[in-house]
Amino acid sequence: MLINQDLAAFMASPVMIILGTRDDFLAPEIARAVGAVVRRDKGHVDLMVSEWQWPKTVANVRANGQLAVTFARPSDYVSYQIKGHATVVSTAAEHVALARRYMECMASTLGELGLEQRVVAPWLVDRDLVAVRLSVQEIFEQTPGARAGRLIEGQP
Amino acid sequence: MTIRLRDLAACFEGVIPSIIATAAPDGTPNISYLSHVVLVDDERVALSNQFFSKTAANVRTNPAAAVLIVDPRDGGQYRLDVTFEQTMDSGWLFEEMAVQLQATSAQIGMGEVMRLRGVDVYQVRAVHAVPSPMPGQELSSREAGLQLMAAAAVARRVSQATDVDSIIDAVLEGLREAFTFSHAMLLLKDPGGERLVTLGSRGYERSGIGSEVLVGEGIIGMAASKRRPVRVSDMSRIRRFNSAVRASSDEENRTRTIALPGMPDAMSQVALPMVAHGVLRGVLFLESSARLAFTKEDEAALAVVAMQAAAALALAEAEAGEGLAKAPSAANKHKVAGRQFRVVHHAYDDSIFIDNEYLVKGVPGRLLMHLLRIHLREGRVEFTNREIRLSEELRLPDIKDNLETRLLLLRRRLEEKAAPVQLLRIGRGRVRLEVAGPAVLEEATG
Repeated sequence: MLINQDLAAFMASPVMIILGTRDDFLAPEIARAVGAVVRRDKGHVDLMVSEWQWPKTVANVRANGQLAVTFARPSDYVSYQIKGHATVVSTAAEHVALARRYMECMASTLGELGLEQRVVAPWLVDRDLVAVRLSVQEIFEQTPGARAGRLIEGQP
Repeated sequence: MTIRLRDLAACFEGVIPSIIATAAPDGTPNISYLSHVVLVDDERVALSNQFFSKTAANVRTNPAAAVLIVDPRDGGQYRLDVTFEQTMDSGWLFEEMAVQLQATSAQIGMGEVMRLRGVDVYQVRAVHAVPSPMPGQELSSREAGLQLMAAAAVARRVSQATDVDSIIDAVLEGLREAFTFSHAMLLLKDPGGERLVTLGSRGYERSGIGSEVLVGEGIIGMAASKRRPVRVSDMSRIRRFNSAVRASSDEENRTRTIALPGMPDAMSQVALPMVAHGVLRGVLFLESSARLAFTKEDEAALAVVAMQAAAALALAEAEAGEGLAKAPSAANKHKVAGRQFRVVHHAYDDSIFIDNEYLVKGVPGRLLMHLLRIHLREGRVEFTNREIRLSEELRLPDIKDNLETRLLLLRRRLEEKAAPVQLLRIGRGRVRLEVAGPAVLEEATG
């Protein structure tokens, strides 16, 4: 599915990225990602995840691939949720560099909102980085309010 | 090491948003940000249900969920394995969450959007610390035992106080010394109306004695109307109700209203209802310029202090005594020396101005006029509660339960304004007027 340009830019900006997965018994799991590489033409997004910090999430993706991701802008809570099927792919130098840039950028964005570096550091971890490649199937608006949960785009 | 939920109380302060992950029966995961997660006990948490309808739908078919909470002090993350139990749309927990939600959202203009639909209660099966590369930080979390000891220290002080005046001081001094909370005020409900009146405060530039809050207005008024503690731990995005109120003598004279004191940079506030015999007596309010200044344990300890103070005040009012009628002393009509002062009474709101300075309005205003009239007529300066209660002139059907409080408000306002007339309590059920000069009473016309 083609990802529209505005959304692609939003996903790649300093937004908080949260992953939702589940295991074979439908027990859900949460993780944070440290950066997203959007391939609009291919309709997929690579999400950088520390397997050291979030081992169950990475294991769930490997096991069944079902993934939901929210992108939320911390200043105004504008957010989107994307769902689809994901696989774990090998990280390229591009991924590692992007994660590093994302972590710096995010730390400074959160700093502007009054959160100290030592407080945000546990959320921005790139140890044992893997890339989770999500093929986008559904996009939802998620900003708190009456329209939250509305499907914006979805493929049959 | 097992982590107990109660050790994570700071995570439930609503400073850093919490997150919930659920899964639909077909396995599709879903993520939602949560505005409020409440710690119910060591085994349960409650989530406010406003708009995350997908979450609500998922947990009704697959009750397993994961919740991520964050300690705002060090950023530490904790994952809770939870199982959905039930939705409640009434009851104690629902009311408490509705009040908290209202307190934090009404003021940012989202009152309607954030209306609470239900409270979803989840059983917590396990708590996991998310790995962090940061060294574990020593957090100076106050032990719950300390709050209990502080509450006991305040209770001891209050238990020794015998009248409304000293009970209020015992509470405020106790909060400062035993809890080291520097900014506090105590307001009592005016039985005649839907207002709370400040009878004492500590830590503010102005005492604000006599300032009023409408029941239902702001955090203080909300604690009164809902009869529940209301606590805010991070006011950085919340516009303050009273920020624009200018506090000056000129302003008081013009509006006949005393401004509520307040910290311009308050980050944390807590308001505790004072209830005794099932009746709301007032509100105890504290604030701080620090984030997260009041923990859940502080709130619980302060709630106990507020309730005990309410009981002590109710007892003091009931036992205030009628005062023995003095043997009719020869009316000592000696002439009062000193500078003459002018007391103007406005009948429509019973407001009193002394030498053009606004003093007080309502019942305390009427009381002062009454005492001064008798003083001028009979030369008397001592009065008993009994005669005030029975006074034909005052005609106050509602006064009998709150005479002590009204006299106290009058006494403290006279003291604060350094008025040429002062009121002294000279024993059980007796007061004395001290005048610095001859009083001239006037009824304002128009």
